[in-house]
Amino acid sequence: MPAAVKEKAKNTVPSSKVRKSKFQADLAPSEDSIVRALKAELQMTSNTDFLSDALALFRWAVSERKRGHIIVSESATGERKILVFPRLERVAPEVALPNVDIHWNDKELESLAELASGQPAQPTKALVRAMRH
Amino acid sequence: MIRRLEEFDNVDNFDCGDEPLNNYLKRHAWTNQQKSSIGVTYVAVEESAPRLVLGYFTLATSSVPRDLLPKKHVRGLPPYDLPLILLARLAVDHRFAGKGLGHALIAEVFKITLRVADEVGCRCIITDAYRDRVGWYAKYGFIPIEDTTKDRPRKMFLDVRTIRVALKSGSEQG
Repeated sequence: MPAAVKEKAKNTVPSSKVRKSKFQADLAPSEDSIVRALKAELQMTSNTDFLSDALALFRWAVSERKRGHIIVSESATGERKILVFPRLERVAPEVALPNVDIHWNDKELESLAELASGQPAQPTKALVRAMRH
Repeated sequence: MIRRLEEFDNVDNFDCGDEPLNNYLKRHAWTNQQKSSIGVTYVAVEESAPRLVLGYFTLATSSVPRDLLPKKHVRGLPPYDLPLILLARLAVDHRFAGKGLGHALIAEVFKITLRVADEVGCRCIITDAYRDRVGWYAKYGFIPIEDTTKDRPRKMFLDVRTIRVALKSGSEQG
């Protein structure tokens, strides 16, 4: 079959017939019990639904850490716990930034020292708004 | 979404209307971040086109040696060099201007600054603002640093303590 025809045939496969990936996992008995307990708690019967929801949650967590956000649970009394999950930390941006030299002239150094040694200015409305996001 | 620049991000068509800022993103940002480690670039992308860069900023750290600062002011400062964050560049593609992207980018700069201040310490953000953008930075509380030259970008200063107060006020206001 010519390549072009082959390509066309490939494109006309109905979406319902697109082969879905299979996912098989060997779970330890304790992990299997956890899965069963979670499915029961969440009133799920299908492993596919379970995996799909777990995937959505994991995807969200990865995207939050990738943006440098921390994931926190907060109790009704305000007690906060931060999720620290080693694999997620691999995608978190490094806080350390490279160091560079800046050229300063005398007038700038004087102005900088005066600003840095004085009382901090009150934040502007735009700054407060920026910190609310 | 704002995240660190990645190798295969699409920056080829980025156009903020300023050639040096366009060129930096297209030619230097990745190398500077990954190989030379002289600046980390963060990019704004949409979830629907997660590789297309709509805006960016570049950060680095720096410090001013204490012995360079005028004696009459150092009394108000701790006995160490003055650590700071340099906001080296910030630009938005002109096709996406007016949609609050600049605000989102600068808000991320403030959040990163607070994280850096918490983890390794820093006293202020310094930016080199184009003269016609000084007003935009001033809106966020950046204060122009006095200078005698009029023909190059203006250094501007924002105290980390001011950002902390803003964070507190922002949280209280919900």
